[in-house]
Amino acid sequence: MNRNYIFLTILMLVLATGTLFVNKTIKLKQVEPQQLLMEIVQPTRYVNTDLVAKMIIQNDPSLELIDVRSANEFGKFSLTNAINIPLDSLINESSLDYFGIPGTKVVFISNDDIEADQAWVLTKRLGFNSIYVMKGGLNRWMETIIQPQKPSDDSPLTAFETYEFRNGARLYFTGAKIDNEETGKVKVVVRRKKKSAAASGGC
Amino acid sequence: MNVQNSTNNQPKYLNPYFGGVLLGLLVLLTVYITGRGLGASGAVKSAVVTTTETFAPDHARDNAYESKFVSDDHSPMYNWLVFESLGIFFGGLLSGLLFGRVKKFRTEHSPKITSKTRLIVALIGGVLFGIGSQFGRGCTSGAALSGSATFAFGGVLVMLTIFGSAYAFAYFFRKLWI
Amino acid sequence: MGPLIPNGFIPGDWNFVIAILLGIAFGFILEASGFSSSRNITGVFYGYNFVVLRVFFTAVIVAMVGLLYFDYFGWIDLAKIFILPTYLGPMLVGSVIMGLGFILGGFCPGTSFTAIAIGKIDGLVFTVGLYLGIFIFAESFPLFADFYNSGNMGNVTLTDVTGIAAPWFALAFTFIALAAFWGTMFIEKRVRKNIKEYKF
Repeated sequence: MNRNYIFLTILMLVLATGTLFVNKTIKLKQVEPQQLLMEIVQPTRYVNTDLVAKMIIQNDPSLELIDVRSANEFGKFSLTNAINIPLDSLINESSLDYFGIPGTKVVFISNDDIEADQAWVLTKRLGFNSIYVMKGGLNRWMETIIQPQKPSDDSPLTAFETYEFRNGARLYFTGAKIDNEETGKVKVVVRRKKKSAAASGGC
Repeated sequence: MNVQNSTNNQPKYLNPYFGGVLLGLLVLLTVYITGRGLGASGAVKSAVVTTTETFAPDHARDNAYESKFVSDDHSPMYNWLVFESLGIFFGGLLSGLLFGRVKKFRTEHSPKITSKTRLIVALIGGVLFGIGSQFGRGCTSGAALSGSATFAFGGVLVMLTIFGSAYAFAYFFRKLWI
Repeated sequence: MGPLIPNGFIPGDWNFVIAILLGIAFGFILEASGFSSSRNITGVFYGYNFVVLRVFFTAVIVAMVGLLYFDYFGWIDLAKIFILPTYLGPMLVGSVIMGLGFILGGFCPGTSFTAIAIGKIDGLVFTVGLYLGIFIFAESFPLFADFYNSGNMGNVTLTDVTGIAAPWFALAFTFIALAAFWGTMFIEKRVRKNIKEYKF
């Protein structure tokens, strides 16, 4: 009789412990509609391509680029260190691990800024903060960073400074592109995943 | 195996853990089918409301508490818990017949007290339980068992408080039982 | 897909048939576990018979853990099940009164019905008491109507109140219950040695 009880005790413990692992329904709290609306109309969520380029070049550890285009497009071209989460798998549980890591700024990128904006609204609604959208997307990136236009002679001094920076960035991204992207991406994906798993662990 | 002969070979009861697993599965099934748990005191409440309504219909409607359960369409006895409690009675009868426990009317009491004492105390206990169950929004089966099983805060609260206070009072009434 | 009746899988006409069937099962389990005897029930408070603790807590942990698995397999929509509303003050007071009634009466409502079924007069008297108690409550309701409705916290679960996920509660209850089962096994043995006149 006692042996049966020991067996049943263990069985019950295993079953009860199992509930910790099977019940992964995340009870996400959502932000209030009014608040969401207020934040949608504000342009503060946009960051321009120059800032993103600068952060990449400076290897800013707080920058987390999320490419919301399809895996196919992502494979052809993306930014250094970008992580690919297609829009339709954005609110999967595994994807959500990338958000809300303290001290990081998430920047969504897509071809233009429409898809990135959608991603921003989705994640904002789930209550995540410090998320941004790269203004103009990769199209703007191409125009500004990869093929910068020389400003006309009568432009203000700041325009020349921007152009100089862009030119430097162009050399950085096109010249050292291949090995930088390869090594950078692998390294970063591993780093992010580990960090995010720790941040969201437990329940 | 499941039906265990207790000490002294007296009453044959189920192994308590087996009974408990059955009861747990039954609660689960009840929640699965009806979306709510089992209950018992609600049926007595329906009976109270029915009698007041039969003998003093106006009074039942005036009463701030009973009027909540009075309806024009059907009798308060036409209630889920009333049918369920009927089932409890027949289920008990079935089990009693099966295990040979249905006998002539008798009163069970400690040898230290008379049947009369036992009955008076049982009546007082019933009155208290009746009053308490209305404040507690259910009794041991409705609030404590089904409530706790569905993770309701109130259910766990009622469960812990009932058992806690019964333990606290137990010492003073030990003559009644041992 | 569950719960079946609120989701319309079973037409409402079957409601009462199901009620009787579930009630029969409930009554059977209560009686067969020995809850038709008040001395079995109160044994838990004096340490000579822990059948209440065993049956009750086994049922609670089985149902708790089972519900979580049902939720995981998508069989039941936890959002649609009834959560007992919490009225803090009235519930505490009511439960203390019920605890006193429990130790005096030796039954709770469900078990007293099964006691009547097997011919226990004390069960019948307890049920009459229940009836009177609820009658007294209903008649004097205006006196404490305010208190009765006070402390309303709504239909809150443990998770709503504490912010801790339900599986942790299931695990904690399981731990406590299993520890209690093993502990009481030894207590019962010791206490029973000193009681002669009670037939177990």
